[in-house]
Amino acid sequence: MTDMLRRRVATITCLVGLLSVLVGAQGGPRRIVSVVPALTEALFAIGAGPDVVGVGSFDSHPPEVASRPRVGGLLDPDMEQIFRLRPDLVILYGSQRDQIEQLTRAGIPVFSYAHGGVADTLSVIRQLGTRTGRADDAARVSAAIETQLADVRARVGDRERPRVLLVFGREPGSLRNIYASGGIGFLHDMLEAAGGANVFADVPRESVQLTSEAILTAAPEAIIELTYDDRMTLDTQAAEIAVWNRLSSVPAVRNRRVRLLLGNQFVQPGPRLGDATAAIARALHPEAF
Amino acid sequence: MSVSTIPAVAPVTAGDLRRRIWLVQIGFAALTVLACVTAPLIGPTTISLRQVFDSSIPFAENVDAQIFFIARLPRALAGALVGASLAAAGVVLQALLRNPLATPFTLGVSAGASLGAMLVITLGLPLTVVGVPAVPIASFAGALAAVAVVYALATLRRQGLSTNVLLLAGVTLNSLFSAIILFVQYLADFTRSFQAVRWVMGNLDVSSYGPILSALPLMGIAFVVFARLPRALNLLTLGAEGAATRGIDVLRTQRLAFLSASLVTGAAVALGGPIGFIGIIIPHLVRLLVGADHRLVLPASAFLGAAFLVACDVAARTVLSPMELPVGVITAMLGGPFFLWLLIRHR
Amino acid sequence: MIPAHASGSVSGVIDEASPLLRADAVSFSYGSHAVLHDVDVTVPAGGLVGVLGPNGSGKTTLLKLLAGLLTPGAGRVTLDGRDTAGLDRVTIARRLAVVPQETELAFDYSVLEIVLMGRYPHLHAFELEGPADLDIARRMLAATGTADLEQRSFRTLSGGEKQRVILASALAQFESRTTTDDDPGASRVLLLDEPTSSLDLAFQLETAALLGRLNRDHGMTVIVCTHDLNFAAGLCRDLVLLRDRRILAAGPTDAVLTPDTIAAVYDVDADVHRHAVSRQLTVVPLARR
Repeated sequence: MTDMLRRRVATITCLVGLLSVLVGAQGGPRRIVSVVPALTEALFAIGAGPDVVGVGSFDSHPPEVASRPRVGGLLDPDMEQIFRLRPDLVILYGSQRDQIEQLTRAGIPVFSYAHGGVADTLSVIRQLGTRTGRADDAARVSAAIETQLADVRARVGDRERPRVLLVFGREPGSLRNIYASGGIGFLHDMLEAAGGANVFADVPRESVQLTSEAILTAAPEAIIELTYDDRMTLDTQAAEIAVWNRLSSVPAVRNRRVRLLLGNQFVQPGPRLGDATAAIARALHPEAF
Repeated sequence: MSVSTIPAVAPVTAGDLRRRIWLVQIGFAALTVLACVTAPLIGPTTISLRQVFDSSIPFAENVDAQIFFIARLPRALAGALVGASLAAAGVVLQALLRNPLATPFTLGVSAGASLGAMLVITLGLPLTVVGVPAVPIASFAGALAAVAVVYALATLRRQGLSTNVLLLAGVTLNSLFSAIILFVQYLADFTRSFQAVRWVMGNLDVSSYGPILSALPLMGIAFVVFARLPRALNLLTLGAEGAATRGIDVLRTQRLAFLSASLVTGAAVALGGPIGFIGIIIPHLVRLLVGADHRLVLPASAFLGAAFLVACDVAARTVLSPMELPVGVITAMLGGPFFLWLLIRHR
Repeated sequence: MIPAHASGSVSGVIDEASPLLRADAVSFSYGSHAVLHDVDVTVPAGGLVGVLGPNGSGKTTLLKLLAGLLTPGAGRVTLDGRDTAGLDRVTIARRLAVVPQETELAFDYSVLEIVLMGRYPHLHAFELEGPADLDIARRMLAATGTADLEQRSFRTLSGGEKQRVILASALAQFESRTTTDDDPGASRVLLLDEPTSSLDLAFQLETAALLGRLNRDHGMTVIVCTHDLNFAAGLCRDLVLLRDRRILAAGPTDAVLTPDTIAAVYDVDADVHRHAVSRQLTVVPLARR
């Protein structure tokens, strides 16, 4: 790129940036790009869907995202494509420091995201509302989730809380490289809200890679395994559940309380967090629903 | 860089050699047995051996027995097999390539295996093939594919097997496969590529005997071939021509060495993932201890590799309990500095 | 000039009566680069032959062809009338040994271990070297003046010491432990490539004396590739002169080593005379042509 061209591009981006600030001041951003699936979903939930002009590679919810251009994801954001969409708000992961800096230099506002517990998710949705000029809608969505969670808690609250192993990753067809929720993060919060007692609640981490010995020793009364792959056939599901039979001394295995929950709502803390929590609660306490 | 070993004290009488071979084999074998017997007794959970072997309790209800027989014993056995295989393959390939820095992974076997595993994990291919998990099968197939390509390249150009081409083809294939691996990972979603990355760090938590039993025959075949190799490997140290004029059928030896070492590496990687460092540290450590004679080095490396990996795996499953530490990280962290210390001490 | 070379190859026939090792119309090329063309060499049992020629004339290649290390592109090499291509390496190794110009070890062995490697063709698959083999190895060390190096690391030896240890290892190939496994009367063949290149004067003399003794007292057939005309003149009964992929002259040393042939082979004017004291032919190069 020649110097002149570069200068011209810089001028244009500055103007666009200025324009977007002006537009934002008037009524919130009108061209939003999000590479974070959970927040894309949140944008649609708070009514900002029509303003979303670019989404991440792995966004699949709601179905409308299919019509939006893809701009990469956590590891491979396509900055050129993002610039070309002339966004006035870009939602990135907090760890994408280089990209955040690039956008900031170009004067494009950035909303950076870091996931945490359930409370953090609700607060992120409300912040997003403020940034997009839809604070009321966001407050409504957040309140709806809280209501859902309260409902779940009410249904399962006085029931005995089974000791649960919440698995979210495992080498297919075997019991190797098992990843489970530790004592912090939205998975742990969802599990506790759904009336389960996390067997690894005392491990102060979001994720724990477990040995089979740790599982045998922990002896969970129920095992909930989350997988985002919602196209898994029933046969495969049965086979994946059967893999656990090897650990027959684990009460969850002996009492056939190993459940597989499919869908990305379980691993993306967004507006469907309440639904996901309810699904976990249903798996743990079917009689309560 | 050339890694030199201290000279062996050569036998002074014929009886010395026989005694040395027996002593070394028995000594190192004892170490392996010790490691395999002790490992299942060590772990974050205290188990009662009396309860482990108490047949009055049904196995399905006997937690101690399950910890012993599912969580610990298969890991120790898998560790012993993988460690022995990688260390022995390292010895054989270093002698074959006449390169002390060669490892079982130099010739592309592990990259092929990783690519195979990676494809299954990231593309979400069928998870089991006739009841056997697909990941080890795919990784073994990937290893075989890499071996076939490297072997074909090394034999294509001229009569015989060119160890130079072997080395270059292996190194090139390693980078090519790594690039494909990165590409596949790039296209895959985050969770899956993370699983794939984790596979590369090695894991011996097989939690059943099936994978061990399926790897065993392949390793058995390779070790039968290994048993015939040591003297020829000694002579190969003089170079292909030096070996040939002393009566070695060099091409046949190279073929057997390459194919058996690749087979055993493929089987080991399918069983435990590409666990690094064992294939280079153990052979050198053994050479420092017993000299360069492959009749001593090969069996001693197999035994020491087994004992070392079993010990590393005990650390992998206890240090951060209940978390698992990748065993490949431990072999590298223990092995690297230890090896450097040995090098410095003997300079 | 030798007139014969213009009309085709000169046969290196030295004694047709009892050919032990013979190259018959042998050609060899590395890829498209021809190294030897239509070469005939016949070495009788008990021969002591020097192979001379400028750099790149194919001396080492001829040596490797005679040792069966290379397969000729055309023609054949026979040992005792049998094509070496059809003989297994062990059979050849018991009759024929090679001392290369240089030996680099991939791993470090002791001197004794290196010499014991020469015993390989006499051992069964899993047989260890026995007392007889150790005895043979020690005799060869003594014969080459390296007995006191027995326990040294091969890598720490000087070039000359290495050369002599490798010679001892080669000689160890010839000793049978039983009289039944070989024809003990059959002449052994020792091929040496530049044996004096890394030796000082004293060891050059000693090596020449040793090779002469092996030839005279043990009936060993010795073939030496060398650049050192005076070494060859003092040691060898017959010479083969190579130039440009062909044999330029061959025959008894006195007949072959003349100013004319030296000029034809090396493009160098030289004086050849019998030395007053040693009574051996002495070559003094005078000028490059």
